Amino acid sequence: MRAVDELLNPDRSPRPAAAALWALLDELGPEEIGVRQQATELDILTMGITFTVYSDGENIDRAWPFDVVPRIIPGDEWDEVQAGLSQRLRAVNMFIDDLYNDQRIIEAGIFPADLLEDSVNFRPECVGASPKFGVWAHISGSDLVRDDDGTFYVLEDNLRVPSGVSYVIENRAVTKKAFPELFGKNRIRPVDSYTDELNKLLMSLAPEGVTEPQIAVLTPGIFNSAYFEHSFLAERMGADLVEGGDLVVGDDDCVYMHTVEGRERVHVIYRRIDDLFLDPEAFRPDSLLGVAGLMRAWKAGNVGIANAPGAGVADDKCVYAWMPDIIRFYLDEEPLIANVPTYRCMYDDEREYVLEHLDELVMKPANESGGYGITIGSRATEAELSDCAAAILEDPRNWVAQPIIQLSTVPTLIDGELQSRHVDLRPFILTGAGSYVTAGGLTRVALKEGSLIVNSSQGGGSKDTWIVDHHNGQSQSQSQSSQSQSQSQSQSQNGGGS
Amino acid sequence: MALLSRNADRLFWAARYLERAEDTARMVQEFGELFDDMPTDVDDSARRWAPLLAICGDRSMLDTDASEREVVNALVCDPDDVSSVAGSVAAARANLRTTREVLPREAWHTVNDLSLFVAAEAPRAENRRFRSHVLGRVANDSRRLDGILTSSMTRDAAWQMWRMGRYLERADMTTRVVGVRAALLMAEAQHADVSVRRYDEVHWMGVLKSLSALQMYQRATRGTIEASSVVRFLLFDSTFPRSVRFCLDEIDRSLDHLSRPESVREAVEVARTALTSTSTMATTTDGADLDQAMDWVQSLIGKVNEAVTDRYLNIDGG
Repeated sequence: MRAVDELLNPDRSPRPAAAALWALLDELGPEEIGVRQQATELDILTMGITFTVYSDGENIDRAWPFDVVPRIIPGDEWDEVQAGLSQRLRAVNMFIDDLYNDQRIIEAGIFPADLLEDSVNFRPECVGASPKFGVWAHISGSDLVRDDDGTFYVLEDNLRVPSGVSYVIENRAVTKKAFPELFGKNRIRPVDSYTDELNKLLMSLAPEGVTEPQIAVLTPGIFNSAYFEHSFLAERMGADLVEGGDLVVGDDDCVYMHTVEGRERVHVIYRRIDDLFLDPEAFRPDSLLGVAGLMRAWKAGNVGIANAPGAGVADDKCVYAWMPDIIRFYLDEEPLIANVPTYRCMYDDEREYVLEHLDELVMKPANESGGYGITIGSRATEAELSDCAAAILEDPRNWVAQPIIQLSTVPTLIDGELQSRHVDLRPFILTGAGSYVTAGGLTRVALKEGSLIVNSSQGGGSKDTWIVDHHNGQSQSQSQSSQSQSQSQSQSQNGGGS
Repeated sequence: MALLSRNADRLFWAARYLERAEDTARMVQEFGELFDDMPTDVDDSARRWAPLLAICGDRSMLDTDASEREVVNALVCDPDDVSSVAGSVAAARANLRTTREVLPREAWHTVNDLSLFVAAEAPRAENRRFRSHVLGRVANDSRRLDGILTSSMTRDAAWQMWRMGRYLERADMTTRVVGVRAALLMAEAQHADVSVRRYDEVHWMGVLKSLSALQMYQRATRGTIEASSVVRFLLFDSTFPRSVRFCLDEIDRSLDHLSRPESVREAVEVARTALTSTSTMATTTDGADLDQAMDWVQSLIGKVNEAVTDRYLNIDGG
């Protein structure tokens, strides 16, 4: 069965939400689309929208790869996805909170205790902690794919330090310039409120009694692949971008930053550093990126940290397999968004199935990210499959397998013409006292024909994502402002120049 | 909101590097045009470019026969030298890249765009035909950035750091330009041939032009171009924004808006007092005296830099 296209029906006619875009693309023709593509690439360079790749022993700052043809999702369809993601993250947070406290789900026999004991992402240092609202994973990015039956599936939940949201906002900024004809006429949901929502969420994590919290974004530094985003978010929130060396934990277990005024208290930290590097006192003693004593300050309730240390325990391709059970257990609701059927190699029967059907499945190591270590059965050589089988047998706990999902496609400008390329979608979900889901998210596109690997670190590109609402009738006409009041002052005719 | 010490350091240096790029660009441009204009009896074109290198700190080059190509390459194109235009712009960008949250967004876009331009185009400055295309853009963008910041940046500590970096570098560059002119005078004094000294006025005009000061000098003095008057203008005029005096006053004004400025203010005061007391020495047309005076002022500007560093740029500073 051929992959579903996000913009086009099987007969290549545009879907209703994409009709206006398709008509414009048709009118412009490939050459003019190419001109607009080049203009956006120049914008991206000038605006310094970059990502950093590690290659040949060097960190290289590269221009963000972008394709000018947007991906479109109808508004009503997106509303369902949004509801599904909010529900999922509510349950995930209850699960994390439970694991570090009462462990009811283990007691109830739903989640196996030995899985938790083996988990490399469980932090014993966090046991007994109770962050505000019971929320640990405040910011998450779930990867969604649309299968050939048109269903959206959650492929994985990124709960540690998910990145990409800055590109959602910047992709929109450059697309508005590329297709000014379409914005305003179509109801495309805006995306830039994200940083404001994030700011509100972070402020809500301030210690009790603090009304004007000082917020800092903690970055590992300019060599990190997502440094651009760290800087972008700090800028958009009016927060400070800090490195470990800018912070110090005082004898009073409060966090301070070094400023020209002396030490200033920091109330909330949005950390973009992995748990293990966060605090050399609590975790890796050789870490130079973190701040000694940060865990002390957090446990004492003197600083809010997002995401909370230890939240990664649920960001695990094994835990993923239990997600439908987790949602039912904590919320007593049926999952609103689908999980890909997942075989857990720790169980004998599921492992045997996987080993017998390697060529039909995708095998994933549980604790890798960025698409590394994945074997796609249908494309692997015999030798690769037997290597993969050996790796599974050696450490079954670390492996899951899923049926190969046929990713949907979007027309993409390749060599001067529009060709189908596979895409995924990473929406970002904020969870605090309430929850917020981005309008759309980051659409990543595999630029190689037939490829399913969309990661920018492995040659993937990106697209703007439009959530488009139907027109129902004429929009209300805006009242015109009074002419007489809007005239600006000008130099009197007898002055100057004569 | 208080400014991170690390950001203070990066803003201060970004401002210094950008000012350096602008000033160096103008200097290379103006000196080139000046020499093009000057008729010579003896062909000394080989010796004309070396003094420019001296401005950027390398006095040993003064007596060499560095070619135009070598000098322009060193001062404009060499991306690894933070004294060159390309190196300064790259260093300014590297500093601003890590302080984007404290500056208006357009400021970053301007510097980023300039740095892309310079990285691609700087080598063409070796060719006279393209030189003004490259150097003019650097000076224009640097001033555009000033405009963006002036019209859209809050007058917070970050703004003051930026200003202090700008004015400190500018004061330093002004003394360098004057100092090198002094060194040239010394070199010429050794020539028995009077014809070399015939174009003295043109030379001093070049000094003024390379500091964007010619027109304002003429309006302020309403006089001819004459050595002691030019030096006085460039050092002591309290209203011209490139004079050393003006730069020091501006740094002092920034200190009014920063906390615990005493140690820095003291260093500024010492420099200002010394400037006044060097007035007799500096207004001489004797090269050796002038050169020595400029060295002295430069060392005092260095002291202001140290005081700023100790107080504002270091963690837990004074």
